[in-house]
Amino acid sequence: MGLLKQLPYFLLHPNQLRSIIQWKLWHDPVHTRDPSKESESLKQCFYYLDMTSRSFSAVIQELHPELLVPVAIFYLILRGLDTIEDDMTIPLEKKEPLLRKFDEILELDDWTFTENGPDEKDRELLVHFDCVLKEFKLLKPQYQKVISEYTKKMGNGMADYANNAEHNIHGVQSTKDYELYCHYVAGLVGAGLTRLFVDAELANPALLKRPELSESMGQFLQKTNIIRDLREDFDDKRRFYPKEIWSKHVDNFDDLFVPANIDKALATTSEMVLNALDNVPQCLFYMAGIKDQSVFNFVAIPQVMAIATLEAVFRNPKVTTGVVKITKGDACKLMMESSQNLRTVCDIFQRYTRRIHKKNTPKDPNFLEISIACGQIEQFIESIFPSQDPKKLTLLHGADGPVTTIEDEEKRRQEKEDKKDVFLLLLSVVGTLFVISGLMIGAAYLLGARFDIAFSELTKGKLSPDRDAAQSIVAKHDGHVEL
Amino acid sequence: MAPTSKKQLGNVLVIGGCGFLGHHIVNLLLSSYDCKISVLDLYTTRNRRPDSDGVGYFNGDITSLDALIPIFNKIKPDVVIHTASPTLVGGNKQMFYKVNVEGTKSVVEACKQTGVKALVYTSSASVISDNATDLINADERWPIIPPKSQTEYYSQTKVCYAINHYGLKGNAFKPDPNFSQTHVLITNQQAEAEIHVLSQNRTGSSKFLTCALRPAGIFGEGDVQMVPNMMNVYRDQKTGFQLGDNTNLFDFTYVGNVAHAHCLAAYALLRTSALSTAPLSHEKIDGEVFMITNCEPVYFWDFARMIWKCQGSTKGTEHVWVISKEVGNILGTLMEWGFWLVGKKSKLTPREVKYSCMTRYYDCTKAKERLGYEPIVKLPEGIRRAVKALEDQYQKEGEKKSQ
Repeated sequence: MGLLKQLPYFLLHPNQLRSIIQWKLWHDPVHTRDPSKESESLKQCFYYLDMTSRSFSAVIQELHPELLVPVAIFYLILRGLDTIEDDMTIPLEKKEPLLRKFDEILELDDWTFTENGPDEKDRELLVHFDCVLKEFKLLKPQYQKVISEYTKKMGNGMADYANNAEHNIHGVQSTKDYELYCHYVAGLVGAGLTRLFVDAELANPALLKRPELSESMGQFLQKTNIIRDLREDFDDKRRFYPKEIWSKHVDNFDDLFVPANIDKALATTSEMVLNALDNVPQCLFYMAGIKDQSVFNFVAIPQVMAIATLEAVFRNPKVTTGVVKITKGDACKLMMESSQNLRTVCDIFQRYTRRIHKKNTPKDPNFLEISIACGQIEQFIESIFPSQDPKKLTLLHGADGPVTTIEDEEKRRQEKEDKKDVFLLLLSVVGTLFVISGLMIGAAYLLGARFDIAFSELTKGKLSPDRDAAQSIVAKHDGHVEL
Repeated sequence: MAPTSKKQLGNVLVIGGCGFLGHHIVNLLLSSYDCKISVLDLYTTRNRRPDSDGVGYFNGDITSLDALIPIFNKIKPDVVIHTASPTLVGGNKQMFYKVNVEGTKSVVEACKQTGVKALVYTSSASVISDNATDLINADERWPIIPPKSQTEYYSQTKVCYAINHYGLKGNAFKPDPNFSQTHVLITNQQAEAEIHVLSQNRTGSSKFLTCALRPAGIFGEGDVQMVPNMMNVYRDQKTGFQLGDNTNLFDFTYVGNVAHAHCLAAYALLRTSALSTAPLSHEKIDGEVFMITNCEPVYFWDFARMIWKCQGSTKGTEHVWVISKEVGNILGTLMEWGFWLVGKKSKLTPREVKYSCMTRYYDCTKAKERLGYEPIVKLPEGIRRAVKALEDQYQKEGEKKSQ
C-alpha cells in the first residue's frame, strides 16, 4: 500500500517504523489459530471477524484454543446486534423486536438478515449470519448459555435506548444515562467475557464476585471511543456526550464545533476524560485476576490502546474537527509492551497518566479533579507494585540507631574504598604535576633561566614580563652588559 | 440529620480546642454529635463559640499536672481529644519540648487519675519522614524516624523543606530559614509524645484507651501556614517558577476531614471501652496509630496552582519557568560554590532541589477499615473554603486599616 507515501514520515520518525518492524518480526503469539483444521463455516466466521474488526480480530485469533471460537462467535453475534441497532434506515417498530429477541434468533439454524441499509458497513455479516449460527450450536453448552444470556441482556438494553424518544431527539441527558448506555453496549460484554474466562478456568473466579471490575473494563473502552468519536458521531447526527456534562460549558451541543468556542469544547472533553479516568484503577485490578497469558493479552491490549487514545484526545482541539488516532508505530509499541504482564501494563498506564497530567492546565475547570484522578491511578499502581518496603526501612532506622544490614555494610565498605580510590587518584595527579613541574623548572634552570630575578621582580609586584626592560634588569643585576 | 441519630460521645474535652484543628473538632462535635463539650486551652479568646452553644471554656496550662487535675475533676470527661501544640512562630526548644512532650505526659497522667475512658492524640504523618527520602504510599508499617536521623538532615535544610511541608513563604525560593528546623524539632517531639501515649494504652487502674492520629499536611479555614504562604506567592506575582518536573505526589488534608477522623476515633475508643472483651487484632483501635489524609494525593505544584486559581489566576502553565531537577542541581551547585566564595549562603542548593522534588503521600486504608473514615470534604472544595476564608479575613483587616 502507501508505504512510499509514508516514507517521508518514517524518515522523520524512525522510532515509529522501528516499532512496526519489531512488532511484525518479533511478535510471538501465545497461540495461533490453525485454519487447516477448521470447517468451512468457521473459516467464513473468521473472514467476517477480520472484516468487522481489524483490531479485535488479531487479539481474538491468538486466544487460548479453548476460548478462541467461543469468543469469536460471541463477538460476531454482538456485532450483528450492533449492526441492527446502528442502522437508522430500519424503522423502530421492526428494530425493537429484533433486538429484544436476538437470543431467540440464536436458536434458529438459517436465519439471515438482508434489510440493512446499503451503507451499513457490516451488513454482509448479517446477510451470511447462518454461518455464525451454525458454529454457535457447536460450542460447548455452557458457553452457549453464557453467550445467549448476555445477548439477551444487551439486546434488551439496546431496545430500551432505541425506544427512548428523548434520547433520540436530544441525545444522552444525564451522566447516569450515559453510563447506562455504556453498560449495555460494553459493560455487559465485559461481564459475558469474564464468565467465559472463568468457565474456561483461565481467570480468577473471584472476578465474578466483583462485577464492577469487568463493568469498568467495558466502560473504559466505550467511553474512550465516545470521547474520540465526538466529531464523527456529530456528523452522523448522534450524540453520546451527556447533556449534564456539555451543558456546563456550552448552551447548545452544536456550539462545541464552533472554532471560537475551542476552550469550552476542550473543557467538555476534559470532563469526559476525567469521567473515564475514574474507571482506570478498577481496570488494572481486573487485569490482575487474569491467569492465562493469551487472555491477558486479549484484555490488556484494548485497555492500553484506550489510555493512549485518551491521552491523545485530552486537550486536543482536533477532537472537534476530526478523528484523533494514535499512530501505527505507537500502537505496535503498545502491543509489544502490553502483551507481557501486569507490571508492563501498569508502566504504560503510569506513563500515559503522567502525560495527561502534564497536559493538564489550571485553565481547565476540572484542573484539580483531573490531577487527583491521575494521582489516584498512580497510587493504585503503587498499591499493586509497592516501590518501598517498610521492613527494610525499619531495619534502616531501627529504634537503637541505624541497624546495619549486610547490604549496608557492603555499601559502607564500598564507599570507604571509593573514598580511598579518590584520594589515591588525587595524590597521583598532584604527584605527577609536581614531578612534571620539577622537570620543567629544572630544564629551564639548566638552560639558563634566571629564577632569582624573576622572583625578586615578582615580589615587587610586576606580574607581566617587559621584554625591553628585561635585558636592563639582568644587566643591572649582574653588573655588566653583555653586548 | 435528626438529633436522635447523632452518635453519643458523653463528656468530651478538647485540649487545644481554640487552635486551628481544635476549633474545627469543636464545630463538628457541636453539629454532628450528641455530647457535652469542654475546651481547655492556654488562651480561650480566639476561635471561641458563642455562649449559646454551651461549650465550656477553661484556661489552663497542660504542662502543669496540678492545674489539670481540678479542671479534669470538674469536667469529668469520658473522652479527651488532645490536639494542643504550640504555634510554630516564636518560641524556643525548651518551650516546645515542655508543651509537646511533658504537656502530653501530664495530660495522660491527668486522664489516668481522673478515670477518663479514652484519649485521642494528634500526632503527625511527618513522624515517619527523614525529610530526605521519598514516602511513597506509606502506611502505618513505616517506622518512626528516630530524632538522630531526622536532625541529621534538618540542619542542612533551609529552603525547599518549607516549600514542601508548609508551602512557600513569600518567595518561591525564600521561605523562613528557621521554620523547617522548628518543624523537624516538633515532629521529633510529636513522635516521642505519640510513643508515650500509645505505651499508656490499657494502663492504670481505669485501663483507659489511647490511640494516635497522624494527619498529613493539614490545611483549611483558620490555617496560618500552608495556604497563606502559597497565597502570598500569587499576591507577589511569583507563580512563574516550578522546581522539578511536578511528578511528585503529595498529600494535603482538609482540616474538617482531620476533625472528622478525630471524632470517629473518639467514638470508636468509647465503644471499645464498653466491650467486655478486647477486640480482634485486625479490628483494634486502642494502642494504634492511623494515617489520615484526604485520600487524594496530588502533584505538588498542582495544589499551589489550584490555590492561585481560587485567588483569581487565569493563567495556564505557559508562563511557568520549569527548572528541572538536573538543571536545578547544576544551578544549585554553582550557586552554592559561588556564594561560598563570597562568604554567603546560597538560597538554592542541590539539597533543596531534592526536597522540592520529594514524593510524600500515604495510604490511609487502615483508618478507612477500622474507623470507618472517609473524607467528607473533597480536596477542591477544601481549597476553595480555605482561600475564601483567608480572603474574607484579609478584606476585613484591610477595611480596619482603611478606617
